[in-house]
Amino acid sequence: NQTTRQPKFEEFEQIDFLRDRHVRFFQRTLQVLPERYASLETTRLTIIFFALSGLDVLDALDVIDRNTMIEWIYSLQVLPTEDQSNLSRCGFRGSSHIGIPYSTKGPGVLHPYDSGHVAMTYTGLCSLLILGDDLSRVNKQACLAGLRALQLEDGSFYAVPEGSENDIRFIYCAASICYMLDDWSGMDIQKAIEYIRGSLSYDNGFGQGAGRESHGGWTYCAIASLCLMGRLEEALSQRELDRIRRWCIMRQQSGFHGRPNKPVDTCYSFWVGATLELLDVFQYTNFDRNRSFILSTQDRLVGGFAKWPDSHPGNWFDLPKWLLQENLVIDAHCHRQIKNAKSERQLWITTIVVYMGFVSSLLFFLSVERDFFVKVPATNTLKNSVEATGVEWS
Amino acid sequence: MSGVEATSTEPLQVKEDQEFDVEAEDHLGDDYVVDPTRYMFYRDRKEWADLEPVRQDDGPNPVVKIAYSEKFSDVYDYFRALLKNDEKSERAFALTADAIELNAANYTVWHYRRVLLQALSKDLREEMRYITAIIEEQPKNYQVWHHRRMVVEWLNDPSEELEFIADILSQDAKNYHAWQHRQWVIQEYKLWDDELEFVENLLEEDVRNNSAWNQRHFVISHTTGFSDAAIVEREIQYCLNQIKKAPHNESAWNYLKGMLQDRGMSSQPGLLERVLELKETHCSPYLLAFLFDCYEDALENSVQRENAEEDERKETLKKALEICELLAQEKDTIRKEYWQFLGRSLKNRFVTGGSSDEPDVAENNKHEVT
Repeated sequence: NQTTRQPKFEEFEQIDFLRDRHVRFFQRTLQVLPERYASLETTRLTIIFFALSGLDVLDALDVIDRNTMIEWIYSLQVLPTEDQSNLSRCGFRGSSHIGIPYSTKGPGVLHPYDSGHVAMTYTGLCSLLILGDDLSRVNKQACLAGLRALQLEDGSFYAVPEGSENDIRFIYCAASICYMLDDWSGMDIQKAIEYIRGSLSYDNGFGQGAGRESHGGWTYCAIASLCLMGRLEEALSQRELDRIRRWCIMRQQSGFHGRPNKPVDTCYSFWVGATLELLDVFQYTNFDRNRSFILSTQDRLVGGFAKWPDSHPGNWFDLPKWLLQENLVIDAHCHRQIKNAKSERQLWITTIVVYMGFVSSLLFFLSVERDFFVKVPATNTLKNSVEATGVEWS
Repeated sequence: MSGVEATSTEPLQVKEDQEFDVEAEDHLGDDYVVDPTRYMFYRDRKEWADLEPVRQDDGPNPVVKIAYSEKFSDVYDYFRALLKNDEKSERAFALTADAIELNAANYTVWHYRRVLLQALSKDLREEMRYITAIIEEQPKNYQVWHHRRMVVEWLNDPSEELEFIADILSQDAKNYHAWQHRQWVIQEYKLWDDELEFVENLLEEDVRNNSAWNQRHFVISHTTGFSDAAIVEREIQYCLNQIKKAPHNESAWNYLKGMLQDRGMSSQPGLLERVLELKETHCSPYLLAFLFDCYEDALENSVQRENAEEDERKETLKKALEICELLAQEKDTIRKEYWQFLGRSLKNRFVTGGSSDEPDVAENNKHEVT
């Protein structure tokens, strides 16, 4: 039995959620972006992921050609070369920017600078799953070898084997990859847990690393990673978990902000909201205030949601946030339970919207060992309910 | 991304005849540029004729394709060509600057530039000037800060860092990248001496700057630590002073609680009284939450003390539950459900019969799934 509060029919009259606009917004995202979005070149695969997740959450994947997309994603896989000398660089690329000729089959092409990126491997795998692919063309062993090569002594991960910044975001990507491939040989879990614990701040949120300011995005990465690993209660005591719950729930102002004394931003309705859900206390937040804030940022013409009311979702930097908000807003209206374990994983993955800092990726995931109440949009149900009250569905 | 005009490091050849030649525009050939401010594509530059540009290949059905201008594609087609050959040359180094100007988030370009900096033994001081300018323009980009860190490491010279970061923070006092870089520099090169003063100045400017409060904790925990009772008292005093100036400041309360939560919140002499006094004149949801936490701490400790007064415990529990009600009904209504949940949990744990066997508070309230 659900003990979570159900929205009442009267509240549906206030719904002004422009589903079709958002669907078209995602469709356009998947087509062509103007040059001013050049900074997204190396992360294009994450953009696909956001758009697909959004369409999936809106039950609108039928507007795209799944096979075309699947092929394009596979063309981004960095496969082993004939002599297997590049195994530690395997995974998925964010785009074709290096200039490798298009190919969806191996063997890999030897290139001095071609390698996967941990967030792209993660969003690539997720996107394939959303599209219904069975990952049979993924070279799993190569991906895991590439992943192992990215972990540092302190437990954190680089994004790429050439080196980059290293922090908790990429632990989250790594944990997601291992979870989806169902193979934890890709990472040293114990070291990762140590890094995560080390990132717990005096104020009971998580920073990007030890000593750093606690932040909603990194807190999500920490908690979600532990859940994926199935180690939440092993890594953190009940006292610590209660303190973390407090830090998270204090982030609600109307919507949520990411750090104390910062302004609210739609993306944190996801980052913090999802963390609260993983910690079983999202039910104690104020749904109405959160929903009102999110809807106030909705762009009625273009579709999508902006960072704040009165700003334009044209800033693609914020794109993932909007996608996340789709999930939250729909989530606020309707729920559905997952019944069987096998489809549970896929269904979980398909409700994922990920936001990861600049890379912008979001995974809403719960460990399969726990009985979690899964929120998935049932838009037909919503539509019927709305129309039953005499309100027109837009 | 602004274009690169004649500021490009490529030498331009100027025709003797200064008259603007309209036809010349369309026939960019070997040996000329009529107008020195006119940008020349790499494909038309004589010095690049030996290199075959490499186009981006997205296959028959590209997804999320970015519509690049001719200029953008031209620069990156040549970048891809250099990359493929792993060319290590001055012209390659120069091109990376063009590529960065068009897209400073392309981590491959930055990596390649670093390879060239080392292979060509480039002047790293000049590179510091370069990266300084780029960060000033794009202070929220991960790649530029990582690049700076690499150059500082190679030079093994952090002497410009604190001032540079202070400048970036003067434009955005909460820039997460800036603070992270600052912490790295301080920790790596042991530059702790003046940091507490820096933090205090920032808190003078904005007592609600959560990043500055975090930095305060960072500095103290890595220098004097919080074990010394005198330090703890000094910090308590500091917090309470800031709270008196700006009561509704979560950062100050988080700092106070964070410092004390594992050192016995309810056992700091006189603290509870001071907070109860403040409650009358400088109340806030954070103050009340702090009181709740003090009462909870007291209850937990009294469970362990066998000769604890039952009445005293009941009184503490009562006060804690009153705080929950006050928060839920009046002072922090957005979190009404949460405060009520906390009240219920506390009752479950500490109502007579409450032993050292604490039930999992969250477990008690987990919703069931059918």
